[in-house]
Amino acid sequence: MAILVDKESRILVQGMTGSAGQFHTKRMIEYGTNIVAGTSPGKGGELVEGIPVYDTVEFAIDSEGVDTSVIFLPARFVKEAAIEAIWAGIKMVLVIPEHIPIFDMMHIRKEAKRYGATVIGGNTPGIISPGQANLGIMPEIAFKRGKIGTVSRSGSITYYIADTLTRTGYGETTCVGLGGDPVLGSTFDDVLMMFEEDDETEAVVMCGEIGGVYEEMARETISRMKKPVICMIGGVFAPQGKRMGHAGAIIEGSMGTAKSKLKVLEDAGAKPARTFMEIPRILESLGIDPVEQVS
Amino acid sequence: MRLFEYEAKQLFKENDIPVTEGILCTSPAEVRNAVNDLDGRGVLKVQILSGGRGKAGGIKVVESPDEAEDVAEDLFEAKIKGYPVEKILVDPVLNIRREYYLGVTIDRAKYKIVVIGSQTGGVDIEEFAKKNPKKVFKESFEIDEDMYSFEAYGIGLQMKFRKDKLKKLASIILGLHRAFKRYDCKLAEINPLVETEEGDLIAADARMSVYSDALFRQPELMEMDVEKRHEEGEMTPREKEARENGIPYLDLDGNIGMFPGGAGFGIMGNDFINYYGGKPANFMDSGGGPSPEKLAKMLELLDENPNVKAIFGARFGGISHCDDFAKGVIKFLKDHGLSKPMVMRMTGNNWEEGVRLFDEAKKESPELFERIEAHGIETPIEDIARRAVEMAKEAE
Repeated sequence: MAILVDKESRILVQGMTGSAGQFHTKRMIEYGTNIVAGTSPGKGGELVEGIPVYDTVEFAIDSEGVDTSVIFLPARFVKEAAIEAIWAGIKMVLVIPEHIPIFDMMHIRKEAKRYGATVIGGNTPGIISPGQANLGIMPEIAFKRGKIGTVSRSGSITYYIADTLTRTGYGETTCVGLGGDPVLGSTFDDVLMMFEEDDETEAVVMCGEIGGVYEEMARETISRMKKPVICMIGGVFAPQGKRMGHAGAIIEGSMGTAKSKLKVLEDAGAKPARTFMEIPRILESLGIDPVEQVS
Repeated sequence: MRLFEYEAKQLFKENDIPVTEGILCTSPAEVRNAVNDLDGRGVLKVQILSGGRGKAGGIKVVESPDEAEDVAEDLFEAKIKGYPVEKILVDPVLNIRREYYLGVTIDRAKYKIVVIGSQTGGVDIEEFAKKNPKKVFKESFEIDEDMYSFEAYGIGLQMKFRKDKLKKLASIILGLHRAFKRYDCKLAEINPLVETEEGDLIAADARMSVYSDALFRQPELMEMDVEKRHEEGEMTPREKEARENGIPYLDLDGNIGMFPGGAGFGIMGNDFINYYGGKPANFMDSGGGPSPEKLAKMLELLDENPNVKAIFGARFGGISHCDDFAKGVIKFLKDHGLSKPMVMRMTGNNWEEGVRLFDEAKKESPELFERIEAHGIETPIEDIARRAVEMAKEAE
């Protein structure tokens, strides 16, 4: 198994006819991802990479039986697109674009909760269940099917963690990019609980960064989990009060520093890793063996 | 992005919040005239994009036009909290009976709008709330719901407002909530909200921060040119140059030039260098899908920084492909040339094409690559960081 997406997922690409939509549709299909439909208002009836395009999500569902959507649209259209998908009954919506207005993301989250849907993003590289489905923009070279789940705020960190797990023979069940924006569709605790319930996942690596409250919010979930959680937090040496890249990564007073986050997570039972290479060492010390021996 | 006090006041006023009717000045002579117009007394407030102006000497009460001009001359020449003073707002002096606090912000954990009220204003509200949790009141609101008058009365009653002031206060709370939503704010704050001896309620200060991601639907804010504002603090010349080229960049005090991919690894890579005993000279982020020109500019900033002794490069191609990355590096080498040692790792989307481009360029002009140690996916990124620390030590 895997979480959120697997080879059975029937996937819709919202914004399929745009340049990013076309480019990534092709990549995702080449990976073996089960893309079944696209939407683009006014362009229903066209084909992209042989996949039928519909005017609305509802038509796409009626014709192709969609259960998952990935959005490749400019930020200002994301609110409409996500709510269209949620209202039409899609239970898993992935928001790739960055710079989505915060209020829009709050609206989307509210509708998702109301309809029992999961929204991941924005500003996320996507979700990959290696060997099954690659949803978004992640480079497949980093990933291999295995036994560790990962969840991270940053794209590049997701790649480095998977790269390390793949190189050391552990592989991954699913890697989830939560996104780098200050307000996100889903948080660490949402995803950690899914990994806890997934048969194939033996341990989870979570990586957060300075700023915000999402890491601290995972405290209770981690303390309830039976599976081990390894945690990393970027920004231990970040200068106070200066903005480093992600809109989410601003230190506000003592709240949201890397040290305070690490302390909270460690107290909840997570094992801290300072570098990526410490992750396989911690897994080994927990008695978790690689899937395959690597020379 | 933060607005100036006078701008926030203008927007508050449009939302039925009474504000002090100040006069905006750009010279000591204008300040003098303004105080004269305000019957000879006034509060001079420097307009900078930072809090704590009062403590830093940026707010002065003056008792005559002469004094106003003298004080204004000093203020226009001073730097307050590191900012040059370009504008001074001259406010009338209020007869203060009491000061309160009102603020609206977002609770990111609960995905709700929060209205905060306190019986004590004019203070650092975060500090005050820590010490006096019972004197600060918070009420949460759904993003898609309007606020009702009775909810504002509720907040006023919690703040122990006198009944005869309750309606006035409620109208201010409603206005602040409305302004917060209307302008896609991160924060809208009145600190202090003054109750005067005459019985009026008036916003003596106004603070507003807005989310840049929503500016496209905020014509009023676009007219104020807020998109060009830096968040806080003054930029170094290199930070300015980077910003003009669309590169998020910060100067730090070490000697290793950081040339990472995304912001996430930009932050983490800074930690790694520190763990291995080095100090980064900067933080940098290319953003998603940078052009070769932008990448070349990023390297130029590092190469021309005299503090930089070695460069640490990392690219895990996701939305930014390795071939574009290679093109950027090659462009820099050809147009500018590398004067510092550099160690880098490149892998991810289109890495094969990236390697091919490097090999081709190297065959053509091997001398351009003399200072570069290039690695691929086989080398852990930790080893690259360690090597950068070594290189910087060797170069010192």
